[in-house]
Amino acid sequence: MLSTRLGLSPLLHSSKQASSALSRLAVPRTTSTPLPRLRLTTVPSATPRRSFCSSHTADDKDRSKKDITMYLQETHDKVFENNKSWAAEQVAKDPDFFKKLAAGQNPEYLWIGCSDSRIPAEQITGLQPGDAFVHRNIANLVCNTDLNVMSVIEYAVKHLQVKHIVVCGHYGCGGVKAAMTPKDLGLMNPWLRNIRDVYRLHEKELDAIADEEARYERLVELNVYEQCRNVVKTAALQQSYAENGFPIIHGWVFNFRDGILKDLNVDFKTILKDIQKIYNLTN
Amino acid sequence: MSADNTFHYALSSNNAWAGYKAHQNPQFFPKLAGGQSPEILWIGCSDSRCPETTILGMQPGDVFVHRNIANIISPTDINTTAVIEYAVANLKVKHVVLCGHSACGGAAAALSDARVGGVLDTWLLPLKTVRFNHAEELDAITDEKERIMRIAQLNVEAGIKVLMNNATIREAIAERGLEVHGVFFDISCGRIKELGCGTAHAGKGDHVVRGKHGQLVFGQDGEAAIAAAQ
Repeated sequence: MLSTRLGLSPLLHSSKQASSALSRLAVPRTTSTPLPRLRLTTVPSATPRRSFCSSHTADDKDRSKKDITMYLQETHDKVFENNKSWAAEQVAKDPDFFKKLAAGQNPEYLWIGCSDSRIPAEQITGLQPGDAFVHRNIANLVCNTDLNVMSVIEYAVKHLQVKHIVVCGHYGCGGVKAAMTPKDLGLMNPWLRNIRDVYRLHEKELDAIADEEARYERLVELNVYEQCRNVVKTAALQQSYAENGFPIIHGWVFNFRDGILKDLNVDFKTILKDIQKIYNLTN
Repeated sequence: MSADNTFHYALSSNNAWAGYKAHQNPQFFPKLAGGQSPEILWIGCSDSRCPETTILGMQPGDVFVHRNIANIISPTDINTTAVIEYAVANLKVKHVVLCGHSACGGAAAALSDARVGGVLDTWLLPLKTVRFNHAEELDAITDEKERIMRIAQLNVEAGIKVLMNNATIREAIAERGLEVHGVFFDISCGRIKELGCGTAHAGKGDHVVRGKHGQLVFGQDGEAAIAAAQ
């Protein structure tokens, strides 16, 4: 991937590369997989359970301050130790790895995903550092008034000229779940409102699904679909596509149960044609 | 060759990765599906060369992530704020890590007087403010790469100040000892270093307990290990 990344023709990905990546993933790397992970001497089990609106447990109060300090220090230190092993490993594989990386980035992908810790974009797709420009927020939303995500799209499309934009959602999304809950969530309200709006756009279809779990999963998919549409509505995308024929948009959903990405086969060209009736920004 | 090949590359890689992970540990995905309890909230740059979970040597489920252009913490940005709220108040992460990096395009743009265009100039405004607040120091640096690196570090320090004033973070620091760290990723060597801003840097070294290398364990309970350590 790296040589392609540095080459002049980012679109040319041979099947040979794909198969080498497959073998890279399929064969356990004895020196590196899994990377050493520090075992903690103190305990996550006594920490507050993470559910929406969880509260502190009695265990928490019992734990001495010293324990907490030690625990925090360890969880903190392990990151630096892991990072050192990772850096050393890359240099062992390719002494010029970081030199090449430092020379610049030329990513093929813009990945817009959820902040959820279980979906590290690069690991689940086998992409290497330098391959994917990444924005992650709560429930992978693309809102037109959010300067944060709009800046990311504009930079990725106009300046980095990415070829693919992936909006990746996931089943079991806490943000989507929260948006289906009739509750005042304070600061989160304005953000989650966007998901409630997705529900309203597809109210008829969703209301017809009797099973709550199935309805929730469908909302996850529809949310990805609507965010893809929102990406298509941007001036950066429309202008770049008219001029260069890229980037193209993909909607994916990650499933924790088997680790597989599902392609929603978003019909990019139809969406573009459809939205340009009202949102045409190509001048 | 069509653009579809790049696209299929990632999807086929994912298939192989999922198969490999499940083979390595059949409980991996069932546990992942059970929920997340990350200990770290990572706020970093969208730059493709900074894949947080990979460079930290961590696994899915370990790091809650927000990445934006130039890892800017803008106090009224509802996107970042919602991520912080969810991670700190609901998931109760133990560490908030703000990470800048060398050769940052956003930092370079802030040092230039040219207009980037579109919405980017507005987004980069906090970084421009950093530039003008530290004009003397930055102007004195003759090497451009060094200057870009320095402003990126100052940007982390400025971001940490905003984070430390976030109401949810303040409460979590007071109530349960949440730690906030400013760090810097040097792309030319792959190493992360601490910038010495944020919480709990004064007493560093007093109660350092180095962990031992071990197995990848999700939801481990370490009660026995505590007793042994004490």
